Amino acid sequence: MDVDLPYRLELISDLPGHDERAWQVAWNPTKPLLASCSADKSVRMYSYRPSDHGSKSLAFSHMGTIPTGHTKTVRSIAWAPSGKTLATGSFDSNVGIWEREDVSDSEDAGETAGDWECMTLLEGHETECKSVGYSSSGTLLASCSRDKTVWIWEVKPDADFECMGVLMEHSQDVKCVAWHPSEEILASASYDDTIKLYIDDPSEDWFCFSTLSGHKSTVWSLSWSPQGSYLASSSDDLTIRIWKRVEEHEWKSVLELRGHERSIYSISWGVGKGASENLGWLTTTGGDGKINVWEITEMQHTKDPLSATLIARISGAHDVNDVNSVSWCPRLEHPDLLATAGDDGSVKVWRVVPS
Amino acid sequence: MAFSGALTLTDLNDFLTPSQACIKPVEQVNEPQQIIEPGAATTEIVIDSSGSYYEVSATGASTNASSKGTERKLQQAQISLNDCLACSGCITSAESVLITLQSHTEVLNFLNSNPPVSTPGHNIPVLSIAPQSLASLAASLSSSSGSPVSLRRILRRVRAFSTRILGFEHVYDTTFARHIALLEHTQEFFERKRGNGKVPMLASACPGWICYAEKAHSEMLPFIARTKSPQQVMGTLVKSWFGNRWGVQPDQIYHVSVMPCYDKKLEASRQDFYNDLYSTRDVDCVITTGELELMMRDKGWDLSQPVENEGIPDFDAEIPELLSHPGTSSGSYLHSLINSITASHSSPVDLTVKSIRTSDYEEFTLRARDTGEVLFKGAKCYGFRNLQNVVRKVGREAGVQVGRGAAGRLVGMRAKKRGGEDEKGYDYVEVMACPGGCVNGGGQLKPIAQAAGQKEDEEGFTRNWQESDVQMPVPGEDNEMQGAKWGNKEWTKEVERVYWHDLPTPPPSPRPDLESPFDRADRLAVQVKIDLCHPTDGSLHESWASVMDEGAETRRRELFRTQYRAVESEVVGLAVKW
Repeated sequence: MDVDLPYRLELISDLPGHDERAWQVAWNPTKPLLASCSADKSVRMYSYRPSDHGSKSLAFSHMGTIPTGHTKTVRSIAWAPSGKTLATGSFDSNVGIWEREDVSDSEDAGETAGDWECMTLLEGHETECKSVGYSSSGTLLASCSRDKTVWIWEVKPDADFECMGVLMEHSQDVKCVAWHPSEEILASASYDDTIKLYIDDPSEDWFCFSTLSGHKSTVWSLSWSPQGSYLASSSDDLTIRIWKRVEEHEWKSVLELRGHERSIYSISWGVGKGASENLGWLTTTGGDGKINVWEITEMQHTKDPLSATLIARISGAHDVNDVNSVSWCPRLEHPDLLATAGDDGSVKVWRVVPS
Repeated sequence: MAFSGALTLTDLNDFLTPSQACIKPVEQVNEPQQIIEPGAATTEIVIDSSGSYYEVSATGASTNASSKGTERKLQQAQISLNDCLACSGCITSAESVLITLQSHTEVLNFLNSNPPVSTPGHNIPVLSIAPQSLASLAASLSSSSGSPVSLRRILRRVRAFSTRILGFEHVYDTTFARHIALLEHTQEFFERKRGNGKVPMLASACPGWICYAEKAHSEMLPFIARTKSPQQVMGTLVKSWFGNRWGVQPDQIYHVSVMPCYDKKLEASRQDFYNDLYSTRDVDCVITTGELELMMRDKGWDLSQPVENEGIPDFDAEIPELLSHPGTSSGSYLHSLINSITASHSSPVDLTVKSIRTSDYEEFTLRARDTGEVLFKGAKCYGFRNLQNVVRKVGREAGVQVGRGAAGRLVGMRAKKRGGEDEKGYDYVEVMACPGGCVNGGGQLKPIAQAAGQKEDEEGFTRNWQESDVQMPVPGEDNEMQGAKWGNKEWTKEVERVYWHDLPTPPPSPRPDLESPFDRADRLAVQVKIDLCHPTDGSLHESWASVMDEGAETRRRELFRTQYRAVESEVVGLAVKW
């Protein structure tokens, strides 16, 4: 641990359980629930609450496992904004939509392990689905695949879905999809080293309005800033780039960060806990097993519009294993909480605390 | 005329991008081998100057591997078009194979080696061209010359080029074949409505859709019409009907079709359209509109130059030409059913059309005016996205399991609890894989001046976008930010407009002694049916729909219908981890 940094990462909970590598973690946006998915084809659910000893501390407990029935690795999971629906993206090329049967709205947190049921299965990808994501309104779902396509589905009543677009813009495997935090703008990242941005033409179809080039290798992961004026990307070229919205439909690369020795598999931008004028905290992780946390600040009178300061770091977060996913807790009471998933099959929860 | 390149691999995206894996296993007989040192790497592979592969023993002589006697020539793996059709490793990447098997060079090679007329081995070369291809040529010519040119004039000029320059003996358009396809298709629809087959019936003319359904949605196959596409009906007409008239066997005719679509090459190559008796295909070679244009350019033919009598309809043509079936530019399959039901219903009916988001997905409902009863509900559905929704909707309404995936195996997959299922489902869907339909087929000419050359990227680096296969917006269109993936939408509209231009076809000075082209087509279609199916009571048949004796009906199904088969999907790169 770098002692000269203002913050450090404190391990809150170590949650082993997956039989094979854990691919992604996803915090439920409305309930104290954390989900993880794995090459063992299952999704594990954890609930959390303040622990009995100490107000700051949280206790995580395993509340259930969805075996999913996917025939291959579950590579990606995403919660709908309502927190009631979970989407799974699998290497069997399908996307599963999951809800808990007969859960009354009044039920808190889900202390009981209610049964998660597959409400529908979205088929269409030819090969491995790599990432899934709900739009901020919850009315759209996007998925991407090694088949180079990005699909957009409209969420209809009764777990029905309508295909709104099949976007064949990338020339290679698409690694990640990410929706803008408030607008209906979709970003996708690919093995073709580019990021593509899409919007809907209401009278026609979804289309790609911009291609962000600059990374010199695979773009693994994307995260929008909490206010949506910036997009962060992490790459196999060992850099993190931040793209600023300069016009309604134009983004420009404004900052390049380094801090990893291997592919940067995952990036997450949270509101953070620092001074109010900053743009929040950005965290990255990857093949080198490091977790980095950066504070992003908007600069008023300099050539560079942004500055980033590394505020916390930990190496060997999952021992010698690759860390595949990092995600800030989206709940306002825990802006300093993040979770990671690693090749060791475990999920870890960390809090960023002052050194 | 300045067209963009007619044949580049980047054009080959009729509806899906190719996947990465070809799973055709290379079969090789395992011959007994000498066992040398166990565990040691004993051979290496060497390629000689002619491209042949040799297995060379490398034991102790890895630096001097060319010692004679230890080389063993390796069998070359051969992949035929049929392998590609049977393989689910790709959907349209088979096209690279097709380029060599069915291309304009192949046509030229054949014509060059064809022995002269009335010498042994001579084949009668016949060219059939789709009306959408004529529209593409006409639109391109009109936009470069500034004055509109009709499909008839284009047909005459293509005929002049094909006969005088290339040596074809007959040139037809495919609309009479389409007329027969529509008659048979209507017949099949009513058979299904009577309970003899599944409803909704889905169109069968688009080979991209057929190929996709066979590989990804086999549960849809029972719904797809068995009626042959116009191209394949034309194949039957040329090889069998004309063949009989000309007194030649099917294998003595070389039949080329010009199509707006690359996947028509796949269609022509299907085993179902191969005549085992004469070892010949109904359509020997399919070329795209772009390839025809390329041939004309290579041979220095100027399509803008008129030919004699090009504006005058030919009422004495062997088969009626340029029949304009009202409805859609993709063949009017849906409208021919609507018209047939309207005509046969005893009281007036009302047609309502509802557009779902775009003109590529429209619902047509036919109601009896007096009772309001829904007589027919159909849809036209073009483009890959809409096709997904139709597959889901039809699968749901018909209660069949959708897809090839783990659907049935997913635990807890809840039976759908749906209200409001009272809405009437579709009777028919005109499915086409390309947005905009056949006028926007992958083999059509591209809009003029749509070449994106060297451009600087956002970082200021010069990149060759075409080389890296990056789609660039068309210069000047950046404001609209239109993706150019499916071609320019404005251009598609222009081809659509030209397709309907000066149609339907009124004779310049109506001759009262002439029957309408459609009446003549109906009459001739019945003649074709009688000539080819040999009903025992031949002269009694006056309409296409009339039922013949069992033997003749069997022949009708053999001649005008086809079949589909599911292709099991085993593709997924097993070794790929992310």
